[in-house]
Amino acid sequence: MKKFAKWLFLVVTIVVTLGVTGNMNTKADSNTPATDQYLSKVKAKGELVVGTSPDFPPYEFTKNINGKSKVVGMDMEISKKVAHDMGVKLVIRRMDFDSLLVALQTGKVDMVIAGMSKTPKRAKSVDFSNVYYKAGEDLVIKKSDLKTIKSYKSLAGKAIGAQTGSIQYNLVKNQATKSTLKGMDKDTDLILALQTNKIDAIALDQPTAEAYAKNTSGLVAINAHFKDEGEQGSAIAFPKGAQSLVNSANKSIAEIKSKNLIHKQYLPNAGKYLATGKSKSAKAANSMWAYKDFFIAGVGYTLMISAVSVVIGFLLGTLLALMRLSKNKIANGISVSYIEFVRGTPLMVQILFIYFGLGLVVNIPALLSGIIAVSLNSGAYVAEVIRSGISSIAVGQTEASRSLGLSRSMTMRFIILPQAMKNIWPALGNEFVSLIKESSIVSIIGVKDLIYQSRIVQADTYRGVMPLLITMILYFIMTFGLSRLMKFFEGRMTHE
Amino acid sequence: MNNETVTPVLEVKHLKKVFGQNEVLKDINEQVSNGQVICLIGPSGAGKSTFLRCLNMLDQPTSGEVLFEGQDLTKLDDKRLDKTRENMGMVFQSFNLFPHKTVIENIKLAPVKVKGEDDATATATAEKLLKQVGLENKADAFPASLSGGQQQRVAIARALAMNPKVMLFDEPTSALDPEMVGEVLKVMQDLASEGMTMVVVTHEMGFARNVADKVWFMADGYIQESAEPKTFFEHPETDRAKDFLAKILEA
Ligand SMILES: Nc1ncnc2c1ncn2[C@@H]1O[C@H](COP(=O)(O)OP(=O)(O)OP(=O)(O)O)[C@@H](O)[C@H]1O
Ligand SMILES: [Mg+2]
Repeated sequence: MKKFAKWLFLVVTIVVTLGVTGNMNTKADSNTPATDQYLSKVKAKGELVVGTSPDFPPYEFTKNINGKSKVVGMDMEISKKVAHDMGVKLVIRRMDFDSLLVALQTGKVDMVIAGMSKTPKRAKSVDFSNVYYKAGEDLVIKKSDLKTIKSYKSLAGKAIGAQTGSIQYNLVKNQATKSTLKGMDKDTDLILALQTNKIDAIALDQPTAEAYAKNTSGLVAINAHFKDEGEQGSAIAFPKGAQSLVNSANKSIAEIKSKNLIHKQYLPNAGKYLATGKSKSAKAANSMWAYKDFFIAGVGYTLMISAVSVVIGFLLGTLLALMRLSKNKIANGISVSYIEFVRGTPLMVQILFIYFGLGLVVNIPALLSGIIAVSLNSGAYVAEVIRSGISSIAVGQTEASRSLGLSRSMTMRFIILPQAMKNIWPALGNEFVSLIKESSIVSIIGVKDLIYQSRIVQADTYRGVMPLLITMILYFIMTFGLSRLMKFFEGRMTHE
Repeated sequence: MNNETVTPVLEVKHLKKVFGQNEVLKDINEQVSNGQVICLIGPSGAGKSTFLRCLNMLDQPTSGEVLFEGQDLTKLDDKRLDKTRENMGMVFQSFNLFPHKTVIENIKLAPVKVKGEDDATATATAEKLLKQVGLENKADAFPASLSGGQQQRVAIARALAMNPKVMLFDEPTSALDPEMVGEVLKVMQDLASEGMTMVVVTHEMGFARNVADKVWFMADGYIQESAEPKTFFEHPETDRAKDFLAKILEA
């Protein structure tokens, strides 16, 4: 156990050091002429992979266009221009705001644009382009509070929400010291929290605040009156040392600024997408039925991830259980360490580690990472199920078998396992059911499971509760249906 | 004199078995020759089962030798030990039939998987053995549907299917209802009269008296007496044996 922990620590250290030194080698400041390979690599693969967190209108948000969820907004128009100027195709990757910079550092994306402010702290780990947009800070509040709330100062003793890690989050933390700060990953969750009185205001940057206020009845945006802390405005983030990409983006930004494209074209366009959210036809599109394909796809992914993981988990679990029961001290030690370690760490961290940590060494796509992590996790739990199934078989069975001349392994194969399986099947069914629920955590790395899809629908429709309700019902149908199915098969097995 | 004929089928020398602090077998030295029927008797906890399990190495002796046809089993590797066990059938107090297999599958399993017999041969042998133990109509039944006496007879047939040279019985009738004891003892008696070498741990004094060639009395980690049944039952030498017999006859 200790040995294994040491070993793992070593691996993590090596992986991290490799990653960090890899970045340090190519450290550069903003005036350096580009000598790096980043731009030529992007050109060679013909696409610029952009990471964003599309819940930040009008910067980036999703829109259901002909049944497909598309990321639109000002930032996306800028990205299009940047990609166009490089002469490559634009590919958009959605993920949580918090995961964006990690994704950039681990090479999952080439650049990040997400209404992200250029801060000295962030600039330590990534290289920024020039600022392309700077706006003030607003508070989104309920219309009914308009009389009492005039600025962040009116919110003493009340709760202010902000997107975790955002500039507004820090402003609230530093200046609104008399208020409680509630950080959440998603703006849509913040809006929901405001509507359900969990918080009294949301600190957002001005265009975003206005976009939400305009599209959500009962909400308004007011100036927050934060003191300026030297914010530089939004910029595009690139990996440390990707000077060639920074230079290219700066050229595009200069052109955007000289032609005033943001105010003339990009913001009005984004506004149009948002505005349709209120028209009559859009109301129909906002009905949950219009999003049925999203939910269906989500159910499909969730079932697929759980089913594949339970199969791999079963094979791995059998191997681990046999190792654990074996007399070989090394095999036993490995198995015990693995089981204890996996069961003693959260699945969420395991998923992040596989996706981002191993991502430094080999590039594993999100879906595969999710399946690997959930399978490896499930293996540890299934191993215990199988072990207790095997241990429940009376020793007399082994003795009778060995006395007939069957070897240890033959005894396991012909006598013990077939009997143990009768106990193991129902437990495996339970594992499948719990995997359906627990696999929901893969959405944090952008796997398009049911949770992820419900997030998209929430962001698309500006409706917080309905998609959650539907998602909950769908999960219940899956788990309940499955446990009924298992009962049915169990019944048939005992009839045998 | 031909040396081979006097080599005992089984022989133990200075056999010792310790569980933790518990010295169960202290120093056992005995022989079983071909065709002999030994009845091993003694008080509960004396180490009879442990001794039997040391004979086919289900339990590893702490020290001493276990010789089967002159070969020391304590020195064999796993593979050759598995091979040797084929020649030593064992019947347990609690039958230990494989519940997920039918009667005939129970019997055929080892011949097919271990000896590599083809299915037809194994089936023929199994049917013959089922007839021998009087259960030819139960071939396709599952163990759970049989009475204790029937299960134990299947267990005997299953052990015989490997065509062993020795049969070890560990209280084969102790878990049975009284009315079923007879049918199992009858099968064992037939086996003895056909010349099978047998070591039987039992509390059935009648069986020991009538069928055994020799009775071993075990207590306190030693074989205290080894004698013909008549001698043992009529003139026990040690106080330990006298005590034991007195208690048995009282019951
Ligand atoms: N696997 C084991 N681990 C530890 N102690 C054991 C083990 N098997 C047997 N013993 C101990 O060895 C002693 C002898 O047990 P054994 O079963 O051989 O006695 P027995 O003569 O067969 O008794 P019975 O007539 O009750 O079957 C007992 O004290 C028992 O507790
Ligand atoms: Mg016993």
